[in-house]
Amino acid sequence: MSDSSPNHDSPPPPSITGGVSEPTVANESDTNAKCQTALQSLSSIVTTATIPPTISLLLEDNAVSAAISSLLQLPDSGAGDNNLCRWLYDTFQSAEPPLQLLVLRFVPLIAGLYLSRVPLRQPQAGFEAVLLALYAHETTSRAGQAVTVNIPDLSHPSIYHESKGPAKNNSTCLNIAVISSTLDPHGTVRSTRRARIVGVALELYYGKISSMPRESKLNFCESCEKWAGQNGEREEQKPRALIPEEESVAVGGRSEKDSGRIPLPWELVQPILRILGHCCLMGMKGEEDREVSEAASKACQSLYLRSLHDINPKAILATGSLLRLREMALDPKNQIDHTEISSDNVLSV
Amino acid sequence: MLGDQSSELSESNGENESPTLRLCANGACMKTTEVEAKLDEGNIQDAESSLREGLSLNSEEARALLGRLEYQRGNVEGALRVFEGIDLQAAIQRLQVSAPPPEKPSTKKKVPREPPQQSASQHAASLVLEAIYLKAKSLQKLGRTTEAAQECKSVLDSVEKIFQQGIPDAQVDTRLQETVSHAVELLPALWKESGDYQEAISAYRRALLSQWNLDNESCARVQKDFAVFLLHSGVEASPPSLGSQVEGSYVPRNNLEEAILLLMILLKKFNQGKAKWDPSVIEHLTFGLSLCSQTSVLAKQLEEVMPGVFSRVERWNCLALCYSAAGQTSAAVNLLRKSLHKHERPDDLVALLLASKLCSEEPSLAGEGAGYAQRAVNNAQGMDEHLKGVGFRMLGLCLGKQAKVPTSDFERSRLQSESLKALDGAIAFEHNNPDLIFELGVQYAEQRNLKAASRYAKEFIDATGGSVLKGWRFLALVLSAQQRFSEAEVVTDAALDETAKWDQGPLLRLKAKLKISQSNPTEAVETYRYLLALVQAQRKSFGPLRTLSQMEEDKVNEFEVWHGLAYLYSSLSHWNDVEVCLKKAGELKQYSASMLHTEGRMWEGRKEFKPALAAFLDGLLLDESSVPCKVAVGALLSERGKEHQPTLPVARSLLSDALRIDPTNRKAWYYLGLVHKYDGRIADATDCFQAASMLEESDPIESFSTIL
Repeated sequence: MSDSSPNHDSPPPPSITGGVSEPTVANESDTNAKCQTALQSLSSIVTTATIPPTISLLLEDNAVSAAISSLLQLPDSGAGDNNLCRWLYDTFQSAEPPLQLLVLRFVPLIAGLYLSRVPLRQPQAGFEAVLLALYAHETTSRAGQAVTVNIPDLSHPSIYHESKGPAKNNSTCLNIAVISSTLDPHGTVRSTRRARIVGVALELYYGKISSMPRESKLNFCESCEKWAGQNGEREEQKPRALIPEEESVAVGGRSEKDSGRIPLPWELVQPILRILGHCCLMGMKGEEDREVSEAASKACQSLYLRSLHDINPKAILATGSLLRLREMALDPKNQIDHTEISSDNVLSV
Repeated sequence: MLGDQSSELSESNGENESPTLRLCANGACMKTTEVEAKLDEGNIQDAESSLREGLSLNSEEARALLGRLEYQRGNVEGALRVFEGIDLQAAIQRLQVSAPPPEKPSTKKKVPREPPQQSASQHAASLVLEAIYLKAKSLQKLGRTTEAAQECKSVLDSVEKIFQQGIPDAQVDTRLQETVSHAVELLPALWKESGDYQEAISAYRRALLSQWNLDNESCARVQKDFAVFLLHSGVEASPPSLGSQVEGSYVPRNNLEEAILLLMILLKKFNQGKAKWDPSVIEHLTFGLSLCSQTSVLAKQLEEVMPGVFSRVERWNCLALCYSAAGQTSAAVNLLRKSLHKHERPDDLVALLLASKLCSEEPSLAGEGAGYAQRAVNNAQGMDEHLKGVGFRMLGLCLGKQAKVPTSDFERSRLQSESLKALDGAIAFEHNNPDLIFELGVQYAEQRNLKAASRYAKEFIDATGGSVLKGWRFLALVLSAQQRFSEAEVVTDAALDETAKWDQGPLLRLKAKLKISQSNPTEAVETYRYLLALVQAQRKSFGPLRTLSQMEEDKVNEFEVWHGLAYLYSSLSHWNDVEVCLKKAGELKQYSASMLHTEGRMWEGRKEFKPALAAFLDGLLLDESSVPCKVAVGALLSERGKEHQPTLPVARSLLSDALRIDPTNRKAWYYLGLVHKYDGRIADATDCFQAASMLEESDPIESFSTIL
């Protein structure tokens, strides 16, 4: 790790909406100093748990995460003058990978609360600042370019297969698919771009999903279920709420259960499905993984029902296949260990 | 070799079989009970020596056999102790020396002939490698995955070192091959378990890109596992190294590409009968290709699947989903017609709903769609009752669309009221589905119930948090229909605030029209000027290398802008400007009925009736249902009919025809009134003028149907 982080990577010093300027850490180039400052300022915000001395410990620390989560769930947590939001913003802007990881850990909760609170017309400038910081980071790091995929065509030979077909011109015959469209810089969250901005934050989260702790993934699955809304799931199948139903009080005429239902355009559904795919199918061995996988499959079920209600064929295909894959993975027939040696009765040299 | 290919496989472990376990070597056999007893006492030395005596083995062989015995008995700790007693690395060193030196730098697997010494060294190698492999398995079972991975890796490294020239196919020791195949498959799994994902990726690639002589089944398993890892791990793999590339071959650049490539190769293998069908492969491919929105590619893959894998209805329905997601509506509808046939699966809810949705988009299919929707409503029972609301919603949409197909006024109003009834029924099931709220609003608006329409429009904006552009446009249109232009402008401005610049085109056009309605043409022209600047910026920022899909996605449509401006100038009677704008628009789109209509207006304005009539008629030839052209011709003819009576019947039939298509066209009513007046039917004329004036009070500045 180099001592001085390259300048073009670190965005300008944080200036949050209506924020009183605090002594910032942007000029400190030393990683450790940044981390220490972040830890210190966090300890003034989170008072119910002891902040561990290093960032790597903090990532693993369930008590602190729980304390931060419960602060985030307070009714006015998304406001522009919220200390925790400012801390998350500053921490992400530090451009230190471990610190950014720490912020990403809370993306499921922030995105979940933010989108579900939109119809309630609460001030959410704090959440928006954090999400915009993530969006801006991604916009800079890929220079606004779209992410594309060349869909392979088996009539061309590839590194994994031979083909007898005539060697055609490689580039022209391929199908190009855009999996994440171009990014324009946004200084504020315009409501029609909201889904895209949150979607990009989720893309970033997916990029680091293998480092995310269990609770964070559970938060995500919980958010998905809220977003999908009630689409005919049986009541008793609903899992216990990890996120307390704090909104239900604030919601006027709308049904409490349904308060989190949001429009689900593809720019949101696509990153959601990638994350759920990971949670559903990766690691079903350990007890913790299994809990995540179960929560993810419930979220998937909700989204499947939602896509039936929306008659959204792409989402029906994707969620349906995830559900069937999980079923197959749970089937003992498919759990044969092919790397096990055959247990013969006769052992020979 | 003695029968190590025993087919008596048993899932349960040692316990049951231990009485019949036997150890065999060099023609002698012995029961394991005695040895096991010694092992249980922890006396490895004794066990080893009794094997050496009983079966005339050397120390290494005896240890290897003991290790396997312990492993097979499920005592992995014991097995590990035994294996740790063998110096495996030294054994490998010895084997490397005894192996023939590489004569040619050939990487090919097949080498014509090998001396008989090869099989002896193969045998020894097999023994040592199996021991290392079992050591890795034992470590894995003890949860020491990183160590296990290192042992397993050393199996593969050793194979490469010992058999630098490869092993001749015909002479390969089956047991050796088995160990190698196992190790190739185990290594990536171990790295995954230990959390070392980059190592896992290189292990997968090593498995697939080097020559291990894997059989089809295990190769298929590795390919699938790797594809799944690439799809779902969230760990971005760097592209494969250049060394593995053959010239001209396709090299995937990222996870999704590599995963999709592997899955397609697997499917091909299944189709060619080279590997056993694995249903999870098509599901993973479905997931991957849907993520990329490439469902038409998926459809092609599904079509290539051999018959007998899916039932035909399943295949049709799945294909229909693929095609409809890819926008190929008619292909999807055709497939659904087959699968919903009474001899197939006529009650399938998803198919019924999808069919009704697709049909609701097309006036000529709407009647058929209403039938599907009704069947969906009837069949949504029990577990699926929650889908009843969706059925009603689709029914409402289909009936609403059907009402646009001209039949009779009576039929139209019947369909419209039934459509409303169905949508109201749907809202009882899904009272906070914003899409439904929107559709209900549009339906009310089309029937000129503007109060209800504006209520739903506002509710939609609230429910979606203003995130959907069409909600803003709809509210502005409803307000304009209520002649509340300044409020409509406020809404449009609010919408502009919430929109990124590339999405502002339709809103700006709306704004310009609102300015005209408020008799503020200079500001309207100003708005268009801004729009044109936007068009140019758009062209610059995306550059000339735009894909077709991007062209289609262009939010600011240049043709529409020029045409809109031409229309604007025509209402200001600036005929020369109209001509310039029309020329610009014509460069972008040669044939357009609406453009010809504006051109006709221009000639009309210049009092040149012949070219005007010609332009309108050309417009009608391009699009026989173009209402503005019909009305314009009717209007021209009725004006001239004052003197020349014979043209009046033609005008009348054209105007009636226009009203059959669009009964809310106030101009058509007005000119029809004129025709009646000139013909002396004063009562009819009065009715028509009344209708025209009523409609004028509720006319939106753009048709409501432009919204959906």
